[in-house]
Amino acid sequence: MVSSNRRAVIEFVLDHLVWFILIAVLTVFSLTIPNYFQIGIFANIVEQSTFVGTLAIGLSLLIIAGYMDLSIESVMALAAMVVGILFAKSGVGLGFGFTPAWLVVPISLAIALSVGAAVGASNAFFVVRLKMNSFIVTLAAYIWGRGLVVALSGGRSAQELPGELRFLAVERFLQIPLMAWIAILATLVFAFILNRTPFGRHLLMIGGNPTAAYRAGIKVDRLTATTFVLAGAIAGLAGWLLAIRTSGATANLGVGMLFQTFAAVVIGGVSLKGGVGSLPGVYAGVLLLASIQTAINLMGMPAHFTQLIQGGMVLVAVLLDTMKLSIRKRLA
Amino acid sequence: MTTEAPLLRLENISRSFGAIQALRDISFDIGRGEVVALLGDNGAGKSTLVKMISGGLEPSSGRIIYDGAERHFTSPADGKAAGIETVYQDLSLCTNVDVVANFFMGREIVKKYLGIPVLQEKAMEAVVAKALADAGTKIPSLRTNVEHLSGGQRQAIELNRFVHWGGKLVLLDEPFAALGVEQTRRGLDLIRRIADQGIGVIFITHIMSQAFQVADRMVVIRQGKVAGDVRREDTTADEIVQLITGEALGGRARNADRENGQAQPAA
Ligand SMILES: Nc1ncnc2c1ncn2[C@@H]1O[C@H](COP(=O)(O)OP(=O)(O)OP(=O)(O)O)[C@@H](O)[C@H]1O
Ligand SMILES: [Mg+2]
Repeated sequence: MVSSNRRAVIEFVLDHLVWFILIAVLTVFSLTIPNYFQIGIFANIVEQSTFVGTLAIGLSLLIIAGYMDLSIESVMALAAMVVGILFAKSGVGLGFGFTPAWLVVPISLAIALSVGAAVGASNAFFVVRLKMNSFIVTLAAYIWGRGLVVALSGGRSAQELPGELRFLAVERFLQIPLMAWIAILATLVFAFILNRTPFGRHLLMIGGNPTAAYRAGIKVDRLTATTFVLAGAIAGLAGWLLAIRTSGATANLGVGMLFQTFAAVVIGGVSLKGGVGSLPGVYAGVLLLASIQTAINLMGMPAHFTQLIQGGMVLVAVLLDTMKLSIRKRLA
Repeated sequence: MTTEAPLLRLENISRSFGAIQALRDISFDIGRGEVVALLGDNGAGKSTLVKMISGGLEPSSGRIIYDGAERHFTSPADGKAAGIETVYQDLSLCTNVDVVANFFMGREIVKKYLGIPVLQEKAMEAVVAKALADAGTKIPSLRTNVEHLSGGQRQAIELNRFVHWGGKLVLLDEPFAALGVEQTRRGLDLIRRIADQGIGVIFITHIMSQAFQVADRMVVIRQGKVAGDVRREDTTADEIVQLITGEALGGRARNADRENGQAQPAA
């Protein structure tokens, strides 16, 4: 039997493991890589984390509830392309504008969120109503979503979003662009929802034991469907931010982000068997990946090293998950 | 019981799973404050019947009249809303969250801030601590995840949960299977106590002595049909065993008594 004090310490470390790893990694990089230890570099890491960080929120919620969403990357691209086509001024962009001009901000955001929510609702229909496997349903949406992006744009790109939107990518607060703050804010809001509201609590319970949740009178189907729609809308938000960042959209925008997001979610401590995970941890996972990527860039290593390392990290993360489980068993 | 309408009346309830007819033409009543032991061999259909009363399964045919009106529950949420609490044979806990969360599953205490419901953890913890202390259940920490608790502790949580929430009708499907001697005794006392508050109890068990200790009536299901519906004082363990197995009293029935391994009331 471990003393309750020591046990509390060990539990705390296990619960926040990814943060300790992040601090360790940043320390090592700062000591060994010239020019790594700079405010500008750290601000850049946070900035890079914007899109994967946003996507990771929705994916985490669904994995915690015991489901899967592979469609997020294509949903993000689709939302970005729709925003690009409607509001960009050149390329395939139609360049719609409003008076006053700032109206484009809420309107484009609402459109991006709706596009995402619509794909999420379609996923929810197949998974919840038709009881199809979420892996397959969202894999299909991953494929047709990207296909739709290419079809809408004819393979071309949309460029030059209005300055009112670009503002969010250009203006900074504490050296970090506003859009990165939006991602952080979204993470905090959903972390609160997950930990402090009945909705979040029930999501965890559905991920742990859906039968028990159903028997307890929790509306499992409705909650699951809502979560799919939310994950879609959050991917729409990521697409909106990405369009603003790139000032438009290309047909292959964001390709590969699904796997980065996946890696970050697992590294961040979300268990693939459902029912376990916290969003701040996931955000730390995103920061960890971005830190490593930055280190690789600074050292002038070829970009494919990033992929090798990220692949290795996912394996390590799953291994850690298993180890944490056995340590906890011994504590109990 | 009195002449007022029974709390629950089942009329010709049948249920089939594809080609298997699990239950056919089940009819019986249960009154307020009455404890009915539901007995029958493995696979007789007891759990299926309980699920239909609680709303988890819909009957293929027949009527469920509860609290004065015919009901068509389509989910356990409906049953709960009508005041039916259930302890299922396979436990209904989420082992990935803590004791407090499980106790309040689906009925959390919240406070609204700007219309957003926020969980009140301290208040919930206090309620659980009191409920468990009243029941004499010891659990090291209410904030440990249920996966770290023993089978008996888990069952105790479920039992205390339904006692706390009350209701009008309680369905217990082999609730003491994982409990030790002392906890089982407390559990049986508990059944009596809640029945004395006017709550109806349906109690499934394979252990004859438990049925004889607490039940007012015994309903025996054999191969999906009601094989007997008798008052406790009008029957004997031997007769119940005979109803369960469907065989005339003989060597086999006596063996079954012994297998149950419990002190039998004088037959
Ligand atoms: N979902 C289902 N699908 C198909 N058959 C089922 C289903 N649920 C129950 N059955 C069948 O219905 C019959 C009754 O099962 P039930 O679980 O009600 O028995 P029981 O009396 O509770 O038995 P035990 O004492 O072993 O718990 C069994 O033959 C079982 O195989
Ligand atoms: Mg059963």
